[in-house]
Amino acid sequence: MSIRRLPSQLVSQIAAGEVVERPSAVVKELMENSLDAGATHIVVEVEQGGVRLIRVRDDGGGIAPDQLALALARHATSKIASFEDLQRVTSLGFRGEALPSIASVSRLTLTSRIAGQDSGWRIGGDGGDAFGEPVPAPHPIGATVEVRELFFNVPARRKFLRGERTEFGHIEEGVRRLALSRFAVGFHLWHNQRAVLRLEPAHDREASARRLAELCGREFGAASVWIDRGEAGLRLTGWLGLPAVSRAQADLQYFFVNGRPVRDRIVAHAVRQSYRDILYRERQPAVVLYLDIDPDRVDVNAHPAKHEVRFRDSSFVHEFIRRAVQGALTEIRPGAAPQPIVQAGERLRPTGGPDGGPVPAERWEIRRPGLPLRVGEQMAVYGRMHSSSAPEPAPVAPPPVADAERPPLGYALGQLHGCYVLAENTDGLVVVDMHAAHERILYERLKRLQADGTVKTQVLLAPVTLAVSSRERQLVEEHGALFAQFGLDVAVLGPETLAVRQVPALLADTDIAGMVRDMLADLAVHETSDRPESANQALLASLACHGAIRANRPLNLLEMNALLRDMERTDRGSQCNHGRPTWVQLTLGELDRLFRRGR
Amino acid sequence: MKLEAKREQLLKPLQHVIGAVERRQTLPILTNVLVSARERELILTTTDLEVELSVRVELQVDTPGETTLPARKLHDILRALPDDATVTLSVESDKATVRCGRSRFTLVTLPAGDFPTLEDLPFEGDIRLPQGVLRTLIERAHFAMAQQDVRYYLNGLLLEVGPGVLRLVATDGHRLAFQELRAEVDAAEIRQVIVPRKGVLELLRLLGDSEAEAAIRIGANHIRLMLGDVCLTSKLIEGKFPDYQRVIPREGDRVVIADRLVLRGALARAGIVLSDKTQGVRLQLEDWILRAQAQNSEQEEAEEEVEINYSGGPLEVGFNVTYLLDALGALGGELAKLSFSDSTSSCLIEEADGGGGKHVVMPMRL
Repeated sequence: MSIRRLPSQLVSQIAAGEVVERPSAVVKELMENSLDAGATHIVVEVEQGGVRLIRVRDDGGGIAPDQLALALARHATSKIASFEDLQRVTSLGFRGEALPSIASVSRLTLTSRIAGQDSGWRIGGDGGDAFGEPVPAPHPIGATVEVRELFFNVPARRKFLRGERTEFGHIEEGVRRLALSRFAVGFHLWHNQRAVLRLEPAHDREASARRLAELCGREFGAASVWIDRGEAGLRLTGWLGLPAVSRAQADLQYFFVNGRPVRDRIVAHAVRQSYRDILYRERQPAVVLYLDIDPDRVDVNAHPAKHEVRFRDSSFVHEFIRRAVQGALTEIRPGAAPQPIVQAGERLRPTGGPDGGPVPAERWEIRRPGLPLRVGEQMAVYGRMHSSSAPEPAPVAPPPVADAERPPLGYALGQLHGCYVLAENTDGLVVVDMHAAHERILYERLKRLQADGTVKTQVLLAPVTLAVSSRERQLVEEHGALFAQFGLDVAVLGPETLAVRQVPALLADTDIAGMVRDMLADLAVHETSDRPESANQALLASLACHGAIRANRPLNLLEMNALLRDMERTDRGSQCNHGRPTWVQLTLGELDRLFRRGR
Repeated sequence: MKLEAKREQLLKPLQHVIGAVERRQTLPILTNVLVSARERELILTTTDLEVELSVRVELQVDTPGETTLPARKLHDILRALPDDATVTLSVESDKATVRCGRSRFTLVTLPAGDFPTLEDLPFEGDIRLPQGVLRTLIERAHFAMAQQDVRYYLNGLLLEVGPGVLRLVATDGHRLAFQELRAEVDAAEIRQVIVPRKGVLELLRLLGDSEAEAAIRIGANHIRLMLGDVCLTSKLIEGKFPDYQRVIPREGDRVVIADRLVLRGALARAGIVLSDKTQGVRLQLEDWILRAQAQNSEQEEAEEEVEINYSGGPLEVGFNVTYLLDALGALGGELAKLSFSDSTSSCLIEEADGGGGKHVVMPMRL
């Protein structure tokens, strides 16, 4: 066969294979266009899982009638104009591919009206690359894209679609993601003429909290803390779910980089590392995190569907996120963090501080020039909502309650079955699992003591040698400092041979070769590794477990109160070493309900 | 099967072999003891599939036979019976009955044919030496064996047999113990075998201090030790033991001669403030003085001074205190000799007159 140029229709269909994988991708692309057009309200209507109809209507800027045809042409966009723009993309889209790709595999009509025009215009096509002349059509300011019979001309693709419910599930997830990224925009989602999501623009705290609870569940809303940390041009904001709302799967992890929903393994790995100390084994944290970074330092042009981004300095970003999240989790103190058992509504009601102004809509507006990160003061409003997030107050400070004398966990009343300590605080009854609590206190103390000194190391009698690939040997050469930092002396003996000559004393009896291999695997993927630290922590945790008081050890009130005060002072004191809670609060309200009081 | 015996005649041999019976077992028959009664003797055998223990008792047997009985229960019953009592043991179908005076116990048996015994293995020539000597050798080396190390060949004791010599070596990768004995060994070439940890510990339990003879037989995959009527057979660990000759240093240029027990006492006291094994003790050498310093993470301290015979100039080096104590405890004699070269190299510990084997301890960086 001779080589020939492909017809442009076919080129579009090939491109569609990358961008328009399934109906949810269409919805995502169209909604991103709406957001880039400055919409404040987006309505998505879907029929039969998006196969029959997808209609996205917005109140954004709209498209001028003479540009409607151009909008459907390939590599035509208003979002970037030069290579410099591509280097620092601030809009969600930029490739100029979505609309023509969609148009090539469906019957698409585009209707729009811009300000100053007294009527809207419509253009449509039937899967070809020819579109009719724009005709006048009624439309408010904004744009509507209607996609009918998706993949009608690509039967193979159509065959690979899943059931209606599955496809709609993907669409809904996509809408949720975007809705989490733009609180100031209203989202409505309809499926087969039934309203599935109705999210009004959230301009104040209560509305934002409502939206979060709606999108991530009430439990998450109630048992999460607000984080807001910035450093060296990076800023991380969002909600960290307490261990009580951890998940079996990583299905409640939303990451946004400059307002763009992404699935990034660097971010995910950093978050998992930070949670390691308080989550039970394979549990996955639930988080909603927004990373703001200078667009210069991130490359969004890595994947046609833009799920992935590339950081210019990924290990720096990894380290920043790990420290920020770990820091925020460490500061959670009893009385500061909402406990999971409390109803969402009660806690989210403003408790103190100046009456919160509305969370400004420009929070998620796209910041084009530079990164002045003016998010701070607005988010302080959130900070007061979850009082724990404010980094300033001294950790021991009691929460602002009427009886300021009373510590957050209150005073001990007695011991229950030699296992639980009961205490009375301002809110009601506190039940403490004394072994779990003591275990965490000892663990944190051991960690602190160890952190004070240098790493003690044991020199090996005969080096442990291990065979590695030459890529792995290079990693050792590149990351020599990291190994040294953990007290490991790893020497390169040959192109594919390593020798470990010295190991951290505490880990001297563990499988050193295995640990170095794991570290190399981590380094290959994440450019960082903290295996020795996690092995070390596991050992300290088991020491703490053996040292902690056991059930059936009678405690007197003095001892119990000392335990409660220790818990208030201890980092991560609300979870035991395995991520289970160390205490729960039963509020007076809950106790009243148990006895049907006030009904 | 039926037999009658004094309680002691049964209890003592059973105590010799009970060590191989693991308390937790997934294979039920391994909790049992194999009882083989012949005309004039009774043989008790236990095994955990790695170590097999058997003992022979001379005894008049009424009806010969073979069966297996729950080892721990039989042991506990015999132990609880009065001294000098006469015990009868009889087995019918799958039940065994133990009678003694007015006591009667019925135990469930398992068929003797299911009991996993080692075949009679081909062994080469015996090495014979007094039990007491073997015991001392093992005692002075076994503590350095690794415990559950992934390098499985370290979880045992190296036995090296050569013409006229027997050597024992153990190491956990951080320290090494080496023992050597000139003995009448009828071996043409050097042979190395690794005896697993459990076999070594059981052997220590069985060995007496006496002049009685111990005979060692080495097979292709097994080692057998015969101590009179008791016989221990252990599987060998397959694998290559590290080349111990390379890690035993030549005598360093800084040689300390110290009173062994005084030094040991000082280190033991200094170690009291150390709350876990990773915290080392710092040795500071000056002419005539050894200072041992220990500090824990709560900043508590201990300091000891010991007079020594030394004139090699100042040196400071850290060690895991347990390793030093183990090594000093495994020496005999009044004076210990410690040779150092620098603060990052190993320390060689011996008796001052050269006997008692060699111990190598690697330093710690504190």
